[in-house]
Amino acid sequence: MANVRQISVFVDNKPNRLAGVMKLLKESGINLRALSLADTKDFGILRIIVNDTDKAVRLLKEAAYAVTVTEILAISIPDSPGQLSRVLDILGADGVNLEYLYAFIGKSDRSVSFVIRVDDNIHAADSLTRGGIIQLTENDIAEM
Amino acid sequence: MERYWNEEIECMSREDMKKLQDERLAAQVKHVYENVKYYRDLMDEKGVKPEDIRSTDDLHKLPFLSKADLRDAYPYGLLAKPLSDCVRIQSTSGTTGKRVVAFYTQHDIDLWEDCCARAITAAGGTNEDVCQVCYGYGLFTGGPGLNGGSHKVGCLTLPMSSGNTERQITFMRDLGSTILCCTPSYAAYIGETLHDMGYTTDDIKLKAGIFGAEPWTEEMRRSIEKSLGIKAYDIYGLTETSGPGVSFECSEQTGMHINEDHFIPEIINPETGEVLPEGEVGELVFTSITKEAFPLLRYRTRDLCVLSRKKCSCGRTLIKMSKPMGRSDDMMIIRGVNVFPSQIETVLIEQGYSPNYLIEVDRVNNSDTLDISVEMNPDQLSDKVKDMQQQERALAEAMKTMLGINPKIHLVTPKSITRSEGKAVRVIDRRKLHD
Repeated sequence: MANVRQISVFVDNKPNRLAGVMKLLKESGINLRALSLADTKDFGILRIIVNDTDKAVRLLKEAAYAVTVTEILAISIPDSPGQLSRVLDILGADGVNLEYLYAFIGKSDRSVSFVIRVDDNIHAADSLTRGGIIQLTENDIAEM
Repeated sequence: MERYWNEEIECMSREDMKKLQDERLAAQVKHVYENVKYYRDLMDEKGVKPEDIRSTDDLHKLPFLSKADLRDAYPYGLLAKPLSDCVRIQSTSGTTGKRVVAFYTQHDIDLWEDCCARAITAAGGTNEDVCQVCYGYGLFTGGPGLNGGSHKVGCLTLPMSSGNTERQITFMRDLGSTILCCTPSYAAYIGETLHDMGYTTDDIKLKAGIFGAEPWTEEMRRSIEKSLGIKAYDIYGLTETSGPGVSFECSEQTGMHINEDHFIPEIINPETGEVLPEGEVGELVFTSITKEAFPLLRYRTRDLCVLSRKKCSCGRTLIKMSKPMGRSDDMMIIRGVNVFPSQIETVLIEQGYSPNYLIEVDRVNNSDTLDISVEMNPDQLSDKVKDMQQQERALAEAMKTMLGINPKIHLVTPKSITRSEGKAVRVIDRRKLHD
């Protein structure tokens, strides 16, 4: 299974709320591999991928944060013009509906990684495999 | 066939009732003015003399009394009879501050119990009934009031007090109780316990319940009626006026008849004190016109309700009050609409949110704004922003249906709204800063 677990944390749009989450992770030696923050006027949803998902979830819950875990797809593509466009074309051709995506630092400076959030992971993963796109496992990301 | 405890009074014509009230009011004002320095000072301050109050039409000239006055005058300041004439003290729970103590002469006890007898009779009670009273006994007025009323009617009275629910049910079954008197929440609990013990309504003989001392909804009435196989009647009262029995429900179950030969009701605008016409929502005010020891004139109950003289199918002509809709001290007027924190709380619970919230009212460009911060439900967290915004919209929609105005909902972190040991601060009204 190539699916990667992403942790989402509810954070109020107030000073120091994000800092609080980061401090908690720092103190427990958890390393962030990927991060994106979606925000509205009132609150933000912090999405992270870490090197120890179970531990991070446990710590966040103990600290009374609202946390949810979702499976996402992660891919690695060459760092050259037109590569992301090619991925989107593959997914589009197969009718995969994209919820959101964000980039994170890849294995080397010649490649770049993306988190892809879709409604149907199996369908999307098939489509990517057929299009020859490299998918990353949670282990791959943890070892980056 | 509808039964009355005192048909002459309960079905009296409006003219005769007014005449009776006029006479009793004039005499009562004189009694209070002569014997209660605290109220005499209030009247003098307003320039009102007992001679100015000739009939109920003059009632509006009298000063109000509020809970704050009762605290100021604690314990003897509003007493109108020598202690040697008093035979009983009852008291409020004191949850919101200093206790209020009320004094009774034997005459006051008699009239109070008589009011309760009217309520029991209206619920179908006679001397053939077994009346199980599971209101608390003691300083609380619930137990003593209904106990006395039950004696007057001649019911076989079971002074159970509250608690020990399995024993309540054992007595109910063994002695064939037919009428139950308690708080509605305790009635619901007795119903649950009955079924948990493996019994059904066929195992008990209850036919009616008289429930009061706390707010309850029509949904709760239906569910209690079903679980106990009874008709459930509402009863209203407060220690300051005597206790339960100030008003009571009849077979029509559409509001409570006020014993207006003892208590004259008025509905006022809680902000201005102005008397409102029949049919308008406002704060209920009572004037006791027959009590001797602790006769409060124009006492503000802080309960909001509506009065109605619509003809009642039970034949009683006593004016009816609606179930209290809330407390005047909690009410907010936002864009001309009355809003109660209790309504907001109801929606939150229905929609699966924690009842911890913060209401912020403000005025922006001459228009009132209502913002409600709600602790998000951690089980509902989604990584997708649009899902979370959809939750805010759905909650705002449910609030609009309940309140009649559109609030802004703000989801915040679970457990982030300050908990309070005592009465929680739920409302911040910033409009007052601008005025």
